[in-house]
Amino acid sequence: MSSIPDAIVNQDEKFLADNAKRRKRLSLWFYFLCVAIALISVVILVVLMVSIWSQGQSRLSTDLLTRAHSELEIERSGMWPAILGSLFVCGTCAVVALPLGVGTAVFLEEFQPTNKLLRWIHGFVQLNISNLAGVPSIVYGLLGLTVFVYMFNVFGQIRVNESAGMEIMGYKHFYQVLTLEPGHVVFVPQSDPTKRQTTFDEPFRAVDPDGNPIEISIWTPGTPKPSDPAIRRQTVRAGAIGGTITERNWYYFRLPFDKSFLSGGLTLALVILPIIIISSQESLRGVPSSLREASMGLGATTWQTVRDVCLPAALPGIMTGSILAMGRAIGEAAPILVVMGAAVAKSSGPKHLMDDAVTMPVLIFNWAGRQQDEFKELSAAAIIVLLVILLLLNSTAIYIRHHVQKAQS
Amino acid sequence: MSSVTPAIESEENPDALPDQTLIHIEKLNAWYGDFQAIHDLSLEIPKHKVTAFIGPSGCGKSTLLKWINRMNDVVPGARAKGRLAISGDASNDHAEINVLDPGLDVVGLRRKVGIVFQKPNPFPKSIYDNVAFGPRLHMKTSKSELDELVEWSLQKAAVWDEVKDRLHGPALGLSGGQQQRLCIARAIAVGPEVLLMDEPCSALDPSSTLAIEDLIFELRTQYTIVIVTHNMQQASRCSDKTAFFFEGRLIEAGPTEQVFTRPQQKQTDDYVRGKFG
Repeated sequence: MSSIPDAIVNQDEKFLADNAKRRKRLSLWFYFLCVAIALISVVILVVLMVSIWSQGQSRLSTDLLTRAHSELEIERSGMWPAILGSLFVCGTCAVVALPLGVGTAVFLEEFQPTNKLLRWIHGFVQLNISNLAGVPSIVYGLLGLTVFVYMFNVFGQIRVNESAGMEIMGYKHFYQVLTLEPGHVVFVPQSDPTKRQTTFDEPFRAVDPDGNPIEISIWTPGTPKPSDPAIRRQTVRAGAIGGTITERNWYYFRLPFDKSFLSGGLTLALVILPIIIISSQESLRGVPSSLREASMGLGATTWQTVRDVCLPAALPGIMTGSILAMGRAIGEAAPILVVMGAAVAKSSGPKHLMDDAVTMPVLIFNWAGRQQDEFKELSAAAIIVLLVILLLLNSTAIYIRHHVQKAQS
Repeated sequence: MSSVTPAIESEENPDALPDQTLIHIEKLNAWYGDFQAIHDLSLEIPKHKVTAFIGPSGCGKSTLLKWINRMNDVVPGARAKGRLAISGDASNDHAEINVLDPGLDVVGLRRKVGIVFQKPNPFPKSIYDNVAFGPRLHMKTSKSELDELVEWSLQKAAVWDEVKDRLHGPALGLSGGQQQRLCIARAIAVGPEVLLMDEPCSALDPSSTLAIEDLIFELRTQYTIVIVTHNMQQASRCSDKTAFFFEGRLIEAGPTEQVFTRPQQKQTDDYVRGKFG
């Protein structure tokens, strides 16, 4: 056994040389294959960008950035409400998803339970998060529809032309009534919310459109009409009917949320929550345990260790994950279509918490499906704007991350 | 300042004092899950002396060290039975601490019993923030008090002269030996009575090792030091008492000089002569 095996001794030099050449050639071919595969994705991206640019660049104008969607003036349609809407929806999403996601990751990574029941809960949460990361976003849309838009109908069904569910704060109901001066109205605070209309037969107190209280007198048809416009503005025909209108403050809040930007943001938060949790967990796992031991050894509690050592060390990774997640949220259309609907005719951003909103992906989806060539070009231009905004947001976040990293070391 | 500097400021020669036991260990058994790492171990650790734990890998010396300030709490399945107590002290106004008491205030224990690890592990912060980390957790100090405390700790750890010009520079920019002395300064800054050192020199080069050993020798006038080491020369150079462990049992403990020159047990003799381990 100690003699050298024949296979090593009797080597065919020519075969060895040929074999080496063949293998080197194969290796070169494989290298070219890899380059080609890498180039394909780059080429596809470039083709996409070029075609979008060539379609949309003629529509890039201040109108696009400052005006709203318009069916009558297609030429001058814009996406300002959609930009605002997207920022509101994604802002809500970030405010909800970041603390929840990072908090869950800290719980899962840093607070290892000793109790058997808690350990079971721990494992259960971990398993579910891994599963949720693979759920298609339209399923989250349906979830958001049930949970946020209708809230399982526990606050009553949403009815057309009526304030839906429970109004909690930030609203005032008025009866609106016409005065004798054409085009001028006054408002009367509504005391009974169930009575949708009222009739005015006697003088009453009201507020003018600027909110100043005024006394209103009644004019009976057949008697002489006052001629002074100032008096006509404070006079109402006997038997005039006032209908309910609602004035909402920015903090107007009601349950359920209906098709509001809040519902959309919360639904998107569900979509990106698993991404944030998993990436935060990864970066917390990357913090060397020697740092935790050092902190614990100095008498820090678990929370102090997490706050002063683990989170600062994991921050760059957490931020990278969050940036990617927010990029996904801002481009997501499917759950938004389910939760907030496909309507794009809105002339402004959200005015109050329960207001609806148009988002950029939904507007692009709508425009791209239209017959008119103008809308097709507009959708390409809107895609350019969306990409630029995404790029701006990402580079800001990367800049902040870089800054944090530099401050740490 | 009196609240942040340790009360013990004895300048007496520690060798001249009679041994006073600070840490009492009696019939200690410790497990990791089903594996018993320490069997029926009894040992007394003298105050203001350097006690070295020696023995081959896996003999339980690090386990014992980490039980003294309950660092094993975070290891799943680690548990211990027996008595492990730190003597009360009138000058430090605390009663005897029963370390294994499950209801013990571990945070308070770790403030009294600091630990230095095998690999230097400074936080990725500035040198100043590293040393100030502990005091910020435990004490309410003004900016000037904190500055003074940081300087005092760095001087104690014999690293002040090397870092005083870059206190706000990154701690990770220091050399390995400087980092380890920084870690010792960080441990000293909370005013402990006991310093546990888990092979503090095994990741360092010879000259850094020498600096740390000198430092340990200096520090024993004020602190009770327990050091785990694989390096026999190190144990003989810088410790007063040596305990030899083998397979989770204490084989022999006594004055360092005696353990190395006239060991009572054959296993100890074999080990210190380098026949195994």
